[in-house]
Amino acid sequence: MNSKSQMVCIWGGFGFAAVCLMGFILAGFIPPMSPSLSAREIAAIYSENTLSMRFAVLLIMTSAGFICFFVAGIASQLQRIEGGTGPYTMAQISAGSLTALIFVFAAVFYTQAAFRPDRAPEFIRIMNDLGWTTMLMTFAPFIFQNFAIALCILSDQNETPIFPRWVGYYNFWVAVSFIPGGMLTFFKTGPFAWDGLFVWWVPFTMFFGWYVLMFFIVRKAALTGVPGTT
Amino acid sequence: MRESTLKPQAAEPHLPGETGVWMFIIGDVVIFSLFFGVFIYYRAADVALYAASQLTLNQVLGAFNTVLLLSSSWFVALAVHAARHARARLSARLLVAAAGCGIGFVIVKYFEWSEKIGAGYTLVTNDFFMYYFLLTGIHLLHVLIGIGVLSFLWSVIVKGDTSENTIVVLESGASFWHLVDILWIALFALLYLMR
Repeated sequence: MNSKSQMVCIWGGFGFAAVCLMGFILAGFIPPMSPSLSAREIAAIYSENTLSMRFAVLLIMTSAGFICFFVAGIASQLQRIEGGTGPYTMAQISAGSLTALIFVFAAVFYTQAAFRPDRAPEFIRIMNDLGWTTMLMTFAPFIFQNFAIALCILSDQNETPIFPRWVGYYNFWVAVSFIPGGMLTFFKTGPFAWDGLFVWWVPFTMFFGWYVLMFFIVRKAALTGVPGTT
Repeated sequence: MRESTLKPQAAEPHLPGETGVWMFIIGDVVIFSLFFGVFIYYRAADVALYAASQLTLNQVLGAFNTVLLLSSSWFVALAVHAARHARARLSARLLVAAAGCGIGFVIVKYFEWSEKIGAGYTLVTNDFFMYYFLLTGIHLLHVLIGIGVLSFLWSVIVKGDTSENTIVVLESGASFWHLVDILWIALFALLYLMR
């Protein structure tokens, strides 16, 4: 396997985290606007920051592409574990690709919230609601990407395992931390609302932490796997 | 990796199971500590509501579930002990007993929740019931995963293999099951008993 192409893909993880975070900061999503705000208040946020919102959403959209490269970078290492494109490798690719799609759709919805500032506030709020729901309630693809990686790593039968086994358990842990995300559908305030501790702050930290940590872990696995690059 | 996680050491005090499992266990404890901290923080702001809502909980069922999980943990500990003494069949039977207690916990939880929902309490009734349903729900998910883990352990030990590798697998799974037990005891104290 070509070591350079692997590295290009693995750097996608770093690219995603950097570009997406820039987008979030520019959009003023840290901390997120409260779901309990009135339609008028939400519309005011978008009409006062129309231009920065549009740019921010473009960055979020761009970042989704980087995910696809990183998913391929991870897949190349999982293939080494499975001795070819096995079921876990394929599960990781499909779940990881769906994660990228989440950012594409969320970006489209946020863009529509900023597209026509003269729209009725109710319509702006519904697009904003769609954006946040798409971004944060969609825990399943990412969790199952974690599961595929964890199960693959823990099933490693190689003499020298491709990944340390704790990376498998780490992926299980990240998956568990995302489960409360689905609860945003029930609440407008408190720790289970979309701006709350268990739907935004914990998953947000774990998600970007996962990209940064996995970037270094996968990079190391790839470097030790390709002869002549260590 | 050189840090061989598959050491026997059965006679000496050691970290049970493989080291990596503890990464998950500590991580999970961190998340649940956040749950507990947030619950205590919001409870302090409205003690009257939380105390009044707590009175509607069925402490008998809660205590019964505590006994079920404690017994289950004990069975798992005995199963690991039996496997260390090369008694695979006994170990497998003890794991069945442990999983049986786990299934009992799920059934009791079903009746407890049905009673609450039947009486008109759901997770949007008030903040106390939000925490009650979400925290016991996320814990229930752990119990279901744990029953899966116990079944997996059973499928390993039932083949009669009590090698060091099998013991490490047993210890890893047992450690997770003890975590599920400990988290429940903390939840039982916080939701059902704290005055």
